[in-house]
Amino acid sequence: MNLSTRMVVVLTSVGLLSGSFLATVGLLTQERIALNKQREIEEAIIQVIPGILNSQKLYEEKDLSVYGGMNEEGNLIGFAIRASGIGFQDKITFMLGTNISLTRINSLTILDQKETPGLGAKITDRDSFLKYWEDKDCSNEIFLHKPAVSSPEELSPTEINTITGATISSEAVLNTVNSSLEQVRRLIKEGKLSSEEQGAN
Amino acid sequence: MPTRSVGQEFVKGLWDENPIFRQLLGLCPTLAVTNAVINGFAMGMATSFVLIFSSLVVSSIKKLIPSQVRIASYIVIIATFVTIVDRIMAAFFPPISKSLGPYVPLIVVNCIILGRQEAFSSKNTVGRSLIDALGMSSGFIIALLILSSIREILGAGTFLGYQVMGAWFKPWIIMLLPPGAFITLGILLAIALQIERKTKSRA
Amino acid sequence: MELVAIFISAILINNFVLHYFLGICPFLGVSKKIDSALSMGLAVTFVMTITAVVSWVINHWILMPHGLDYLQIVSFILVIASLVQLVEMFIRKISPPLYQALGIYLPLITTNCAIFFLALMAALRNYGFVQSVIFGFGSGLGFTLAIILMAGIREQLEMADVPEPFKGAAITLIVAGIMALAFFGFSGMIK
Repeated sequence: MNLSTRMVVVLTSVGLLSGSFLATVGLLTQERIALNKQREIEEAIIQVIPGILNSQKLYEEKDLSVYGGMNEEGNLIGFAIRASGIGFQDKITFMLGTNISLTRINSLTILDQKETPGLGAKITDRDSFLKYWEDKDCSNEIFLHKPAVSSPEELSPTEINTITGATISSEAVLNTVNSSLEQVRRLIKEGKLSSEEQGAN
Repeated sequence: MPTRSVGQEFVKGLWDENPIFRQLLGLCPTLAVTNAVINGFAMGMATSFVLIFSSLVVSSIKKLIPSQVRIASYIVIIATFVTIVDRIMAAFFPPISKSLGPYVPLIVVNCIILGRQEAFSSKNTVGRSLIDALGMSSGFIIALLILSSIREILGAGTFLGYQVMGAWFKPWIIMLLPPGAFITLGILLAIALQIERKTKSRA
Repeated sequence: MELVAIFISAILINNFVLHYFLGICPFLGVSKKIDSALSMGLAVTFVMTITAVVSWVINHWILMPHGLDYLQIVSFILVIASLVQLVEMFIRKISPPLYQALGIYLPLITTNCAIFFLALMAALRNYGFVQSVIFGFGSGLGFTLAIILMAGIREQLEMADVPEPFKGAAITLIVAGIMALAFFGFSGMIK
């Protein structure tokens, strides 16, 4: 076998072996990886809409997904909105839980962020940021309270707290929440969400 | 060149030819994922997996690969193992996979691995290549652990997530950020060089 | 507007070297003199832009339509290795002195994490064709900027009294740290 043929044969074999190996591993892990993603979302939905038994995806586009949470009687009792928006460093993705009339926020949880550790990354911390999002009035716009306060009682129902030294990250979350709520309201008006509203407000 | 004993083959990767402190290879992931000990450790393990298996494969088939296509072949072999480790991590260790993010696929261009294939596995027996890979991996992991311990303790006051510095300590957040990484590694390199010079002059 | 954001972000805010820790090997190795740094930077920019194009094509026309995402790593690295090979032959033909100057660093571009990271990121962030090209070009320029700045500083450092253990890599890293700190000031430029 001369050199050129040998080179081709070797490269092709290495390539084929690698390809088949990867195909096997790819198939074996594919399901698991998809399951992990799904589980992460389901856990977030349960976290932000308390009392639900299961959830259903009602709408999806690139940076926005809407899920409905149903209680044991099958009534829709809340929405979980998964939205992404640009933060200080990169995209921030969160899950926001609301009631079905989109007037009250249950809570917020951050799914993905790459903000500055120790500063912007504090948006994932309940005590520094997330607890100020619990039980907020979102019938209209929500605002950022600057400077930062130390307890939720000091905020009005339409205000959330800033993280000292991480205003941009805090603002980014706020803006994305406000705009995604607007978007969902519009989608409901246009009938794009399957609304089986049987639950109480 | 005198043949080294098996023990020496392993130990050289720990200090004399430590991939990070002496050979200055694989610095990209070193700086990127050492902001927490768990991340540094996970990256070290993932890289070791790729290094060990790539070395085993390359060393086993070294006689079959014509010299002109050797780099391409090594790269495909290495890339295969990197994909495997990346997928396994995403499937079974999702939170770590998330923290390490795109730096796991970057193991493919980690000069340590390609360097070892070219410099060692392609010219030595399977047994020796395995020992070499184990030694280099250990040296790499140790270096990562040192760097990430310093960065995590000073930058967040924690070690493996557990608070080790008292409440009096205001973390030096800069340590978790790029500048801290660069400067810490720079200082460690200087220290390593100084130790090397002192032991040489004493010998 | 978004393209401008990607471009500026790649050069200043998320500089590949000072923010993502990429391309450190050539950064340490070729930053001793400004002209070799410039040549390396331009070669890298060139390879990066073309890589952005080719990897986008492969990803969107071949891999993704067939659900072969897991072949991204292998495909991208092979693309890069081949491109570098071609660039090397190209430079050797049209400018032998440049080829001599770059020496071993040219094949080393293959293991330049920056290029590989670029291909991966463009795929991960689902950039369109134009976005990928801008991203590739911008990141290359960012790398070039960092390496030229470093070369400028190192040429000055040659005349300074650096303690023995710090000479070479150690002092370069510390300087890089200070540069990274300076570049941090660019953060938040783009909302």
